[in-house]
Amino acid sequence: MRTKRPVEEGNVLICALCTILIISLIGANVLRNCTTRYNVSSSQVRSWKESLFAAEAGGDIAYAEVRRTVLDPPHAFPTPSWTTTGAKHQSPETTFGANGLTTSTVVDLFYYDPATGNPWFRARSKGTAPVTGLARTGMDDRMGAGVKGDSLLRKIDFKVDHFVATYGPNGDGVGPTPSPVPGPQITRRIEQIVAPVTPFEAAIKCTGSFYGLGSAAQVDSYNSKNGPYYFAANNPADPNFKDARSGSVEIGTPVAEVNGMLYGNLSTNGGTIVPNSSITGTIDNNVPFTCPPFKMPTDLPPPQAAPTSVTSTVSITPPVAGTATVPTYYLLSSLSGKLTINAVGGAQTYVAIHVTNDMTAHIDVKPNVHVKIFFDGNMDVKGRDIENETNLAANLQYYAISPASPATTQYIHIDPPGDFAATFYAPSADVVLHGNPDLIGAMVCKTFYGNGNTSWHYDRALDTEGDAVDYRIVSYVEDIR
Amino acid sequence: MRLRISRKRIAFTLPEITLALAVSGVVFGAILTLSTSLQKSFNAIDNYFGTHMQQIRIVDYLSRDVKRGLIVTTSADLQTVTVTIPNYIIQAGDPEAVVNPTLVGTARTPTMAYTPSGWQVNYGNTTSIVVYSISGLSILRTENGTVTTIASSTDQLVPLTTDVELANTECAKTSITFQPIFTSGGAAASRSGTTVYSTAYLRNKRRG
Repeated sequence: MRTKRPVEEGNVLICALCTILIISLIGANVLRNCTTRYNVSSSQVRSWKESLFAAEAGGDIAYAEVRRTVLDPPHAFPTPSWTTTGAKHQSPETTFGANGLTTSTVVDLFYYDPATGNPWFRARSKGTAPVTGLARTGMDDRMGAGVKGDSLLRKIDFKVDHFVATYGPNGDGVGPTPSPVPGPQITRRIEQIVAPVTPFEAAIKCTGSFYGLGSAAQVDSYNSKNGPYYFAANNPADPNFKDARSGSVEIGTPVAEVNGMLYGNLSTNGGTIVPNSSITGTIDNNVPFTCPPFKMPTDLPPPQAAPTSVTSTVSITPPVAGTATVPTYYLLSSLSGKLTINAVGGAQTYVAIHVTNDMTAHIDVKPNVHVKIFFDGNMDVKGRDIENETNLAANLQYYAISPASPATTQYIHIDPPGDFAATFYAPSADVVLHGNPDLIGAMVCKTFYGNGNTSWHYDRALDTEGDAVDYRIVSYVEDIR
Repeated sequence: MRLRISRKRIAFTLPEITLALAVSGVVFGAILTLSTSLQKSFNAIDNYFGTHMQQIRIVDYLSRDVKRGLIVTTSADLQTVTVTIPNYIIQAGDPEAVVNPTLVGTARTPTMAYTPSGWQVNYGNTTSIVVYSISGLSILRTENGTVTTIASSTDQLVPLTTDVELANTECAKTSITFQPIFTSGGAAASRSGTTVYSTAYLRNKRRG
């Protein structure tokens, strides 16, 4: 049996096609919109953030190497992974993370502190993150005519590195050339300034136990840039009063017996010191810290030919005044006599001495002379053996080089009689101070024991004095070009 | 056997046409309503995500400037954020550029100064001021007088709270909301549900 089809049946097909077309158009529009948003939010924003993470990771790698220049000098900026040209160190390119982030850093020694000779470093890091997804910008066209949204902020390199093409590889305008990139990517660049940390930020700083001082002792401060010391810690009307109450003590353990009058702050690591009238500043019993072992600096010039040992009375006048960065350097196998160090004429004279044995000598530092004494062994002297004629503690600095083995003990004993002005950086040494000396200076040590009624005056000018014992990042800026 | 259809039954009757028109009217009305609703919904969603992208952009701008900033302050009404940033790049007219014009556009070597609060690294003798502010429905970023619109919307794109903690933490906390097109009876959650939070820490020691 045959049934004749009605003629109007064809409309159904047209209607169905139209419906599919309309729905497809709507779907395509939605998909296009979603894809664009997803492209921006998931790919470009992520790459933008990850490229900064990469740059900061490069900065951290460089920072670790800079710290090694004082904590582990032989292994700082190791070759061949790092390339050193003059004062500039170029890191290898490091790839890390699941998203193929890359980073590299150029570290350059760009400044010497004229007072201490400590170097400052600048670390320029760049971090790159690939941009996945559609190779197109995610500009929001509703920003207005001529106003770009995302592309002003997130600069994506699709074909070439725009930074190198515009400003050159070092960003200094030298040699700009189109540099192809392997794929769409975002690169961010940061610059960090790494500054030396000097050791004398408190009157006494010990990582281990502390006992002291005598019940009639006092620790206060002054600033030698304002003139000689006088007691001002009890007179708020005194113009130097604000500099007179920085005689702080920092203790890295809970074991602390603090006696005498302290015109400054006190910190312990888990101690039980409570506020009392003998401590004028802040008490904080939750301040952990460490002092890394001290190693002999490696940036000193070659030593002088003579003397190589001092066992009697010797007076030396350096051949040149030198600078804090390049002092006149003496390498001594022993130092047990009396050593007088003279200035070169009236010039500020800088001297460094390395004693590869114990330190038992009488040292006489004449005016205008700045001396750093590094010793490998122990130190056993009387207060009068530390003769610093200007009474400026910064002019006579003792550094106890940490023993290679942590099990090896090191000590500094200072006995009466005698007052003195000096600084001591001995993070591995047990310090014993006997008698009632009047001393100007600062002490960093492992443990401290002092039972006398000492008058200890911390010089605030020591804030910026001393050899670098660590580094810290003091400035951060992003190159947004 | 062949069935024959009577010619009398080919044409539609009036009730049939009327019914067909009525059904067609309902169908087309539904399609019209549906397409309009779809369009509105699409616009709302497009607007929502577009504005959300602008929120992210504001946060990214702020984070970038705060991280390299020296001072960050906020106005009392929490609608303006002012960031002081170093002058890292030498600009035309800067003292270095006057001496050597080829330095324009290059990075500046910093100088160091010791202050009572420690070492301070300075890029030039002056700093740049960046101000984030609201102008109508737009968020503006003004750097040394140069205005950039970093977000604009047909909706209300308003930083609900912009808070800078000056003490201790040294960070800038920002939350940004906007009013979506579709709301549920004007419920407050329709705005608060769009909030994007951000916390950016200063990498530099605060000077202000």
